[in-house]
Amino acid sequence: MATTTESTPAAGAKPFDIVATYNELLRSDPDLTMPIAAIEALVLLLTHSPSSTISETLDLLAQSTAHLKKAIPNPIGLSAGTDLFQRYLITTLQRPGQLGPAGDFKAIRTHLLSNGRLFIRRAKESREKIVAFGRGFIRDGCTVLTNGGSRAVASLLQKAADEEGGPSAVRFRVIYVLSSISKNIEEPSGEPEGMETVRALRAKGVPVSTIPESAVAYALGKADMVIVGAEGVVENGGIVSRMGTYQIGLLAKAIGKPFYCVAESHKFVRLYPLGQYDLPIEQHVIDFKSEEDITEQNEQPVDTSADRPIELPLCDSVDFTPPHLISALITDSGVLTPSAVSEELIKIWF
Amino acid sequence: MPSTSLALTPGLSSFLKSLKSNPIDTSIENLISLLKRRQICHSRASATATAYLLRSVVSLCRTSESSKLIERVQSVGRRLMAAQPREMVVGNIVRRVLGLIRDEAEDDREAEFALSESESQPQTPRAFDDASLPLDRDSLALGSERSTRPPLTSMFSLLSHPEPEASLPSTPGSQSPGGHNNFTKDLRAEVLEGINEIIDELGQVDEQISNYALEHIHSNEIILTHTSSTTVQKFLLRAATKRKFTVIHAESYPNNHEVTHATVSGNRGDDDDLLSFESFQKPLIAHGITVILIPDSAVFALMSRVNKVILGTHSVLANGGLVAAAGTRVIARAAKVHQTPVVVVSGVYKLSPVYPFDFDSLIEYGDASKVLPYEDGDLVEQIDVQNPLYDYVPAELVDLYITNLGGHAPSYLYRIVSDHYRKEDISF
Repeated sequence: MATTTESTPAAGAKPFDIVATYNELLRSDPDLTMPIAAIEALVLLLTHSPSSTISETLDLLAQSTAHLKKAIPNPIGLSAGTDLFQRYLITTLQRPGQLGPAGDFKAIRTHLLSNGRLFIRRAKESREKIVAFGRGFIRDGCTVLTNGGSRAVASLLQKAADEEGGPSAVRFRVIYVLSSISKNIEEPSGEPEGMETVRALRAKGVPVSTIPESAVAYALGKADMVIVGAEGVVENGGIVSRMGTYQIGLLAKAIGKPFYCVAESHKFVRLYPLGQYDLPIEQHVIDFKSEEDITEQNEQPVDTSADRPIELPLCDSVDFTPPHLISALITDSGVLTPSAVSEELIKIWF
Repeated sequence: MPSTSLALTPGLSSFLKSLKSNPIDTSIENLISLLKRRQICHSRASATATAYLLRSVVSLCRTSESSKLIERVQSVGRRLMAAQPREMVVGNIVRRVLGLIRDEAEDDREAEFALSESESQPQTPRAFDDASLPLDRDSLALGSERSTRPPLTSMFSLLSHPEPEASLPSTPGSQSPGGHNNFTKDLRAEVLEGINEIIDELGQVDEQISNYALEHIHSNEIILTHTSSTTVQKFLLRAATKRKFTVIHAESYPNNHEVTHATVSGNRGDDDDLLSFESFQKPLIAHGITVILIPDSAVFALMSRVNKVILGTHSVLANGGLVAAAGTRVIARAAKVHQTPVVVVSGVYKLSPVYPFDFDSLIEYGDASKVLPYEDGDLVEQIDVQNPLYDYVPAELVDLYITNLGGHAPSYLYRIVSDHYRKEDISF
């Protein structure tokens, strides 16, 4: 998953900087997903703010969320978290009972603040749940094709590899599609995303083959299934994921291999993209240039004004895989068909 | 049919007869061996036998606690499912009974809490410990919410109160003492009533499905079907009372062709105890319907003329795929090539919450001598003869499912699954 570790401009003279907190959280814990980091940042924000009324708090949340979304180049993942948090507050406040409108607002605040760690623990546990649901997919003798650096996929594969009963209880093989674009900008020759998982799997005795993106169609014939991760799962059941996932999905459909997506249910996000270019992010993957443009660009100094939308670096670019290419979503609430996603979302929004 | 002869051939009716007289453990063993020996092998026969057995199990289980009852049903269910893992309806019925018990237990608990809450409003401490009181309140709020709208488990579980387990009925022992016994008796009675409803549903399911027939079969259409499924036959017969159409019937050699021939001609053998209920029925030809019997190999050739394919099934899976008699996939594929709509008729009881991880493991292999009789001994020694009984048909080859609840798109089946089975029972 994209963890934008670049330092972002400090948010004015605010005593509490939500953007810095968010980035710091992501940096400090490599296992943290973007939605959870966002929730965590918002909880910390509540800790630092003296607000005591409901509307004041909701207002503060809305402002900070907007600010955070603007400051991060790819807000799809984190918006799932902020939306979830906001909806949670509203439903809890509306519900009759101790934490409801009749009760003390302080109670809900204390509850949220005292349980910050718990949310993260649960979020990580949801990965365990996914592993439990997804275990059945990986069987003896099968070959799995995967890509990207999804932690959910990595934990699923690793768990399958070290089931009880000695090294590699399930005898499966992995074809790992490695991106040609390095994850690290400072070090262009650095290793691609996913190498860590490859090493971990190999250490567990799982035969792993790494292939470039151009070899996917060639390699799919040898694979039994495709398992990918996701940054966000959108309303129609499609997924927003690392660039290259869409083409793997298309190829898997064409060759007739099942295409599974592993995602925690807190990554479900209320978006309805109609196509690749309908995502609420700025990414210049396709950049038309003539010779003239290039010389012009070289002459001009780089524009660093703050109001310019932040572009997503090429290595973090994402694409959208439409639902008809996805056989099933393996989530912590079970194995779902893409059409079940909207229902899960309806449950929290309405 | 004389009842003595029925008792001699082991099967559904003999099992149901023996259920009353035999002790429960013998009956369980009996059903396990019947399932293992495939003497009960139709979906509905298995479902009916399971439902009746569980009814006896519940009525004989002299316990006052829902958790004990659940445990008992689970242990019996596990043994039945292990006896014939591919007969998924057995698991479905067990899960529904478990769901029934859980629902009833929760209703009772809720009612009781509501009572104790209203009583205890003025003076706070009561039979509960002080510390457990807020927890119970939370579980009450969650419980009442669950009954009114879909459970808010999924994503909110991340943020909700510290102990989500508190909302589950995990500790029935800690209930308040008052009024304990009378409602647990009610619990068992209500569960039995629920099981009776399931049994009724199993009996009526074909009738209910056939009510949709006139919406789907129109005059002068050519319908293709396969196997001797009684659900499909009733569906077609209902349409035949009002409309004239043509049925092309693929014979499904080698496992089902004799029964299919009997279905078409109308003189069904009464050796099969399941079909004996239906043997009084008039065949389609008696209603003036043109029925064309074809070998399975001719399906593709005729598909271009067919308006609609109507198929029966063995079981339906949560992803919308289905396990049906061998040859079904070929028909569904041929229909796809010709853009012919494929309609699958199936009772909800066949809908299984199991996700098909491994398609090959769902396929059952039958008697190879039906393909190559043992009289051809020389050949049998030299070649490997296989007779798969079922096919896995992926969801994208099916256009519509008609169940006793109505018509559904394959992608909607997950919803019916979540309506019928509790999440905690899916893998037990």
